[in-house]
Amino acid sequence: MTATSHRGTPEATAAAGGAARNQSGSPRRPQAPGPGPYPWVMAGSIALAVLGAALSLNGVLRGWAWFMPLITTVVAVSLALAILRALRAQPLLATLGSFATLAGVLSFIFARQDSLAGFIPTTGTFTAVGRLIKRAAETVVSESAPVAPNAGIVFVMCACLGLLVILIDALAVPLAMPAASGIGLLAVMVVPATIKPQSVGMAGFIGAAVGYLLILGCSHWFAPDARLQSGSGRGAGQFRRSVVTGGLALALTMVAPLAIPGFETGTFPQGSRLSPWGTSNGLNPMITLGNSLRSPTGSGRITYATSSSAPVYLRSVTIDHFDGETWAPDDRAAERRVGADRIETGYAVQGEVVNAVTSVNAGLFTSPYLPAPFAPASVNGLNGRWTWDPATLSIMSTETTTRAQRYVVFSAAPKVTAQALSQATTAPSGISEDFLRIPGSLPDIVRQTADTVTASAGSNYAKALAIQKYLRSAEFTYSLQAPVQNGYDGNGLSVLADFLAVKSGYCVHFSSAMAVMARAEGIPSRIAVGYAPGRLTGESVALVGQGSFPEYEVDARDAHAWPELYFEGLGWVPFEPTPSRGVVPEYATESSVAGNLSTNADEKEVLTTPAPPATAPVPIPGVETPAAGSASVNPLPAIGATAAGVLLLVGFLWSPRLSRTVLRRRRLNRKPPDEAEPGAPGFTDPAPELAWAELQDLATDYGVPSAPSETPRHFSARLRSSTALGDIGGIDDAAHAAVASLTSDFERQRYGRQAAVAPAAAARIAVVREALRNNARWLVRFRADWLPPSMMQRWVHALGAPFRAVGTLARTAGRAVARWWRALRGLLPLRR
Amino acid sequence: MSATANCWVVWNGQAANTGSFVATVATAEGHFMESKRQVTVEPSPLQGEAYTALPRDGAGLNGHKPQVMDAERFHDASERILGSINKVIDGKAEAAKLALTVLLAQGHLLLEDVPGVGKTLLAKTLARTVDCTVSRIQFTPDLLPSDVTGVSIYNQSSRQFEFRPGAVFANIVIGDEINRASAKTQSALLECMEEHQVTVDGHSYQLGLPFMVVATQNPIEMEGTYPLPEAQRDRFMARISMGYPDKDAEIEMLETHQASSPLVKVTPVVTASDVAAMVSTVQQVYVSTAIKEYTVAIGRATRDSARLRLGASPRSLLQLLRAAKATAALDGRDFVLPDDVVDVAESVLAHRIILDRKAASSGDTPQSILRGILASLPVAQEPPGAWRRDRHAV
Repeated sequence: MTATSHRGTPEATAAAGGAARNQSGSPRRPQAPGPGPYPWVMAGSIALAVLGAALSLNGVLRGWAWFMPLITTVVAVSLALAILRALRAQPLLATLGSFATLAGVLSFIFARQDSLAGFIPTTGTFTAVGRLIKRAAETVVSESAPVAPNAGIVFVMCACLGLLVILIDALAVPLAMPAASGIGLLAVMVVPATIKPQSVGMAGFIGAAVGYLLILGCSHWFAPDARLQSGSGRGAGQFRRSVVTGGLALALTMVAPLAIPGFETGTFPQGSRLSPWGTSNGLNPMITLGNSLRSPTGSGRITYATSSSAPVYLRSVTIDHFDGETWAPDDRAAERRVGADRIETGYAVQGEVVNAVTSVNAGLFTSPYLPAPFAPASVNGLNGRWTWDPATLSIMSTETTTRAQRYVVFSAAPKVTAQALSQATTAPSGISEDFLRIPGSLPDIVRQTADTVTASAGSNYAKALAIQKYLRSAEFTYSLQAPVQNGYDGNGLSVLADFLAVKSGYCVHFSSAMAVMARAEGIPSRIAVGYAPGRLTGESVALVGQGSFPEYEVDARDAHAWPELYFEGLGWVPFEPTPSRGVVPEYATESSVAGNLSTNADEKEVLTTPAPPATAPVPIPGVETPAAGSASVNPLPAIGATAAGVLLLVGFLWSPRLSRTVLRRRRLNRKPPDEAEPGAPGFTDPAPELAWAELQDLATDYGVPSAPSETPRHFSARLRSSTALGDIGGIDDAAHAAVASLTSDFERQRYGRQAAVAPAAAARIAVVREALRNNARWLVRFRADWLPPSMMQRWVHALGAPFRAVGTLARTAGRAVARWWRALRGLLPLRR
Repeated sequence: MSATANCWVVWNGQAANTGSFVATVATAEGHFMESKRQVTVEPSPLQGEAYTALPRDGAGLNGHKPQVMDAERFHDASERILGSINKVIDGKAEAAKLALTVLLAQGHLLLEDVPGVGKTLLAKTLARTVDCTVSRIQFTPDLLPSDVTGVSIYNQSSRQFEFRPGAVFANIVIGDEINRASAKTQSALLECMEEHQVTVDGHSYQLGLPFMVVATQNPIEMEGTYPLPEAQRDRFMARISMGYPDKDAEIEMLETHQASSPLVKVTPVVTASDVAAMVSTVQQVYVSTAIKEYTVAIGRATRDSARLRLGASPRSLLQLLRAAKATAALDGRDFVLPDDVVDVAESVLAHRIILDRKAASSGDTPQSILRGILASLPVAQEPPGAWRRDRHAV
């Protein structure tokens, strides 16, 4: 019978989702109903998800300038999709239209001059695009995060994310696989996860997650899956299932990193970052330096022993070109000379030369640049072909790396004293002009700062000291995180300007600041990258012909950069502007200027003066040096604050219990208002209803929550049959009777005629409460007392009120816009 | 008359000349049904008399309104009826209660199941326990509307037309295999059901009270049937499937029903006026605003459901509420609870709603969808805000 009755029925109109929902009840309009708000909401969700995921790219690209073109692209493509879907174009047509929109938007943003009418691509546009892609490729190959947002990389990003919008839309709408659209978002986030030291970041994660949930919710709402069972998604089973799934996923994220090598520390959702390449893959050591410093475990351990009494900086490479957006070592491949066993400085040095022998074991440290103390005269024991640059004395190999190299460096550095430095006033000669060239686009702040700081200094040496003193002053703080957080991690002139404004950074920033400011003041300078003096390992190494010397070790955490300034007659002299790192050389300390001119005549003393600074504990990187410490003397405020904090905490912990008790009292002890006489028409005694609410909350507290779709009788039956109330006929019989009578009172009051005044409910509630308490385990009892679930739900509900209000507002606005859109569509000629 | 003679109509007339109901031929009924090649038209006691159109006077019972029963007597009467039915039909207490509910709510009942599960037995037992007139119509394709409603014939001796009432003139009318009759005949019966009167040759004849049609139909045999269209199914207050009895009930049935028909032992336990009083008691049951809101919410939920092509009509909501009132009265209450509505919702609504094709192909039934709706619909028709519930408290 059932089957036949359906046989003759008219075919349902094949309108999807929301249209079917609206059909029943309302008469059919002459024009076929549109797809409703679905395309708009879906396109909005997709745009939100993609833009949210793109938030995580901050840090891969510097600053926020790239975000505007991105918004334009993503919104334009989403809008095109929404319009085409709202007009019910074929799915393929909608996708093609969005591709056309993407091409148009990209042409408009990036190749306006080469395009027809500004947005129609021509052959010229393709040439321009080719150029942009080439530039992006160069950026990817040569630079490292954060890169400057040049047109090439922004173009590639906009194109990729625009394509992603189309892909997600195709997955979510025509292919009806909204869950799979998460893969696209994941693809966006993989980039920062592998490139940025701080991984995806909270904003990006939340943005992507919110967008993804919106996509899922949207498709669930408007295009429910026919494969799902009937009934509603609000059932307890569904909730339980999602909780279990979520819990499992969370547990997996906790456990999986332990099993996978390469994961380091980190907290959810910042995520343990997978770094499969280790920390020093150093094509550009300057850039990997920050990451090395931030790595919590030191990798690339190097041990060395030296005959030098002064702390030894191991120097890998120098940076002397301060032009361009990112500084990189200049290898000067044409000028390099083969054979590291004989290295010449290339400039004349006057005065005494201090020789030292250093034996280095590079261990697992892998780099094309050889760490060696300055200035190497010869390096013995190397495997492979190594070349050196006469201008910078950096030793490198294009064929092999430092891995597992053991070598002995004979170094010879001129003995530098403050006196000698202050006398070295002749103009530099014998070195390349490169070291003096001031970059063209030097930010004003650098020059101004340099001029201000060195205003009172006369000689080059005094200027250098003034700059160093300025950078080491309390104004500047050492921080590995501040540049990351403020978006100027890395190097380059713009970074330098940011650093001088924020006054917080690490060695890269300090050294480049000093180097650039020195050049601005006419002192030849360069940045040396390598390792600060390390720690004693406790072992000693015998050096041939020199005796036995203590062994030191350095690893990635000791990575360092420092400026070298050129003084005629003394050569390249290192300085130490970075606070709390490294060792300030004797000649560069302020006091030496004051006193050394007269007392520093004895050269032997100078040789032995720096007692054992290398053994001094090197501050652990990552710990910010505290600002000028001010010890609190008065303990009263602290005690007061502690007491207030404890009180607040107690109040906070007590508040659920307190508010629950107050609520119960109010419900049960309420006197009926005097003006309304019982029995008067229109008067309903609220007592049974309040008692019922209390009973429901009690049951919720003890683990039998009531469902909104449950009738009072059903709820009462469930409560009585649950274990929470104990067995009927036993000692809890009174409680059962109380529940039954409370239920019948409530039913009578709620659904019956004018009811007689019910007896007071407080006693019965007390009986029920007692029975519930006695039957509950202590954990449940504790929760019911201190964190009553009914109260918690109430609070959560109250907390959600603003969001719900916003949601209602948005829905109303959405409906208004939809009406407007329908009206507009009614004006257009009928399609299809 | 020849048309009438060819079809399987058995009807028992009623004596209305005194104005009171007299059960006349109820005892012979079972006998008629056993052998089909029998006289199909019982000589009516009315034969030869002019059946005049009754004026509509109040409830049509003795000219005065039936008294409202008090709760105890009501409970007593209902217990007697149910007990009597349950003695005959084993293990079908639910169906029996629903049948009584429909009777008290002044609705009509559609029994739909495979042959041989006791559809007709239930109908007949119910009719027999109440001391009132019963007629049974075996629907066939050639049954004419006049066989159901009655016909005016010319009396040669008195030289005027006399009305011979049809089978529908009884308190309980059993329509067997209603889907076998032609659409025309079906609609003749259905018109009587809706309007409680018969109109022949411009005269309207009032039907008695209580009046209830218990129709059965067989969902298996499809050939040569005229399935009731949706609009006509909507006239039945409830549709129930009997279902097979459980093992113990079936064994007991085999034991007790061997020798004689169980119907023989059934004696009337209440009178028609008792039933009329019960009906008016049911009418007095109080329905609060909250219940009305809940009922309307159920109706709206079925209309808004994406899985239903046709939701519940306003008439069905009216009948739902009437059935709920009867349930409440049978439960000994004078007000309706949401539980009463939920109890009868499935039987009352399931045969009126039509599934979406998608839902039907995914294995949903009207019952499962109704259950889903009831499971998700808040009972208190206000937004489920925790603060609202305590508006008195704060």
